[in-house]
Amino acid sequence: MAENNCENKCGVPGADDQKVMEERALSVFASERNEDLTALVLVMIVVFFVLLFTKWLA
Amino acid sequence: MANGQVGRPSNGPLWIISIIMLGYAFLVKAGVLDGIMHSLHTHKSADLQFILSIVGGVLGVAAAVLRQARKDKPMTNFDTFVLETIPGILFILILAMGIRWYAEPIVKIISNNLVPVIGFKIHKVLNLNYVVLGILVGIIITNTWGIPNFAASGVKTARFVLKMGVILLGARYSFAELAKLGMVSVWMIGFFVMGTVFFVLWLGRIFRQPKSMTGVLSAGMGVCGVSATVACAPVVRAKCSEMAYTIGTILGWGVLCMFAFPTIGKIVGMNPTQFGAWAGTGILNSAQVAAACLAFNAVDIHTLKVGEIFNITRVLFLPIIVLVLATWYGKSEGTKLSFKEVVIDKFPIFVLGFLLLFFLSSLGLFSPPSHYKGKYLDFSYNKRTEVTAEELAVIGEAVKAGVPGLTAAEKEALEDLYKQRQIAGDYKDRNNKKVFDAKARKRMEALQSILAKAKAKQISISKELKSAIKHAVKQVHKKSKTIVVLTDAMIWFFAYGLIGLGMQITKKALAQAGGWPLVMGAISGTAKAVLSFIVVMFFVKDVVLK
Repeated sequence: MAENNCENKCGVPGADDQKVMEERALSVFASERNEDLTALVLVMIVVFFVLLFTKWLA
Repeated sequence: MANGQVGRPSNGPLWIISIIMLGYAFLVKAGVLDGIMHSLHTHKSADLQFILSIVGGVLGVAAAVLRQARKDKPMTNFDTFVLETIPGILFILILAMGIRWYAEPIVKIISNNLVPVIGFKIHKVLNLNYVVLGILVGIIITNTWGIPNFAASGVKTARFVLKMGVILLGARYSFAELAKLGMVSVWMIGFFVMGTVFFVLWLGRIFRQPKSMTGVLSAGMGVCGVSATVACAPVVRAKCSEMAYTIGTILGWGVLCMFAFPTIGKIVGMNPTQFGAWAGTGILNSAQVAAACLAFNAVDIHTLKVGEIFNITRVLFLPIIVLVLATWYGKSEGTKLSFKEVVIDKFPIFVLGFLLLFFLSSLGLFSPPSHYKGKYLDFSYNKRTEVTAEELAVIGEAVKAGVPGLTAAEKEALEDLYKQRQIAGDYKDRNNKKVFDAKARKRMEALQSILAKAKAKQISISKELKSAIKHAVKQVHKKSKTIVVLTDAMIWFFAYGLIGLGMQITKKALAQAGGWPLVMGAISGTAKAVLSFIVVMFFVKDVVLK
């Protein structure tokens, strides 16, 4: 937020473009922690199914 | 979960993507694409091609129907974070499928066909695999047509999927690899990893570069390429364009090293072990380390083995680098972080996930604990690992007639292969696995040495004998199916994530970064290569592996 204010005040050329790029760079998650936890949980599910089909049931 | 208020773009593109995916699944199942798949050598992935296309297509149709039904209703979290991201997810997935099954194999075929003209495989030299192709496709799309409106929400999942790739990376390594290295080697690798990180951070201050760029570049230059860049980006708040710039710098530096290292190594007369240690320390990307080792010495597998072990051991320093950078970034932002804040609050959870999988892998959950990237040696007596009766007859004749030029160990290994019909330890040691396996490993290395001597034309053996020995060696090399599948999943996550990453790099973002990161990469890369060269020449002789 502080950065955006500075950009507007300082009149950085193409500030709108920059804002759009920063918006894209944002994750769909609210926080880093949510993103990491979701990634970890999904990977554990993937690992469980891979183990199930390639080791335990194979 | 908050952020992506992008509204409800048209449903048309989602229908088109879903129909393309379902149509592709039908073509694969009907066998229409068999010819093309065979010529591109992708036929082994036919089942995966069908499954991914059908799942993607059905998911797309379901999402399109739900979006249509909810068109005039107010947006809920389910709309924002699930329904609205699916069009973008499928858009990137379809691009990843195109790269993995078509672009990458086509580039490989063209490159192989160009060998008689240019004398080398250009795809290997320029590392034109899914990593580079994915970023390039993303950059081209965003700088030409721009990211389509319907895909904007889905593109935001790229970084998240990259993190899943980094977590899965942990499954490929184990403590056993570390244990193979002597303490001197571990110190040497640690010194160069940490030294490079601090050197790049210092260069960043001298050249007045943004802290986020410097931080992520230091991790990439210190450890290796994509995984380190992704792992350290959150702690230094690096932008996607800075991550991509770092990956580009590392890969570009690796291309130069691939040419320079083997030439220099030959000029100064390095032995295979020294060159492996130098390449594994000085070159960053693992594929480029392997290419340089093979260019230096295609006969002695010791070069490649040492190079690979030195290279992968760096990855295990990743968590330490994350801690160092979290502390450095906190300090440079003016906040002095306590140990608890660095280790518990700032440490990315997904890097803990990497460690968790590494730990599970070391315990032997995915493969026997001594595995390396899912490959392991199995010397246990087994009917299936025996050589065939014809091969046994060929080996028997060679043993009786004698092969000139073999050392005592090589001769003994060949005789033992004839006696036991497979590579194994002594029968009397069968209850002591450690002694049994150690003996078997020695015999296997002696047989590999016979093959290397034959390849270098130092000895002359028949084609049949060569084939029989090769078969015996191959029989004890096993591959864990679990790790093969997990690695495949990791490659898909990286391919997906890197396309999305590339989509966030505009010409403007690259121009803003300027040429300084390249200069810093070149300076630190050269310093590391020169210093490791001196250390290897003076301190590394033959014994770096236990």
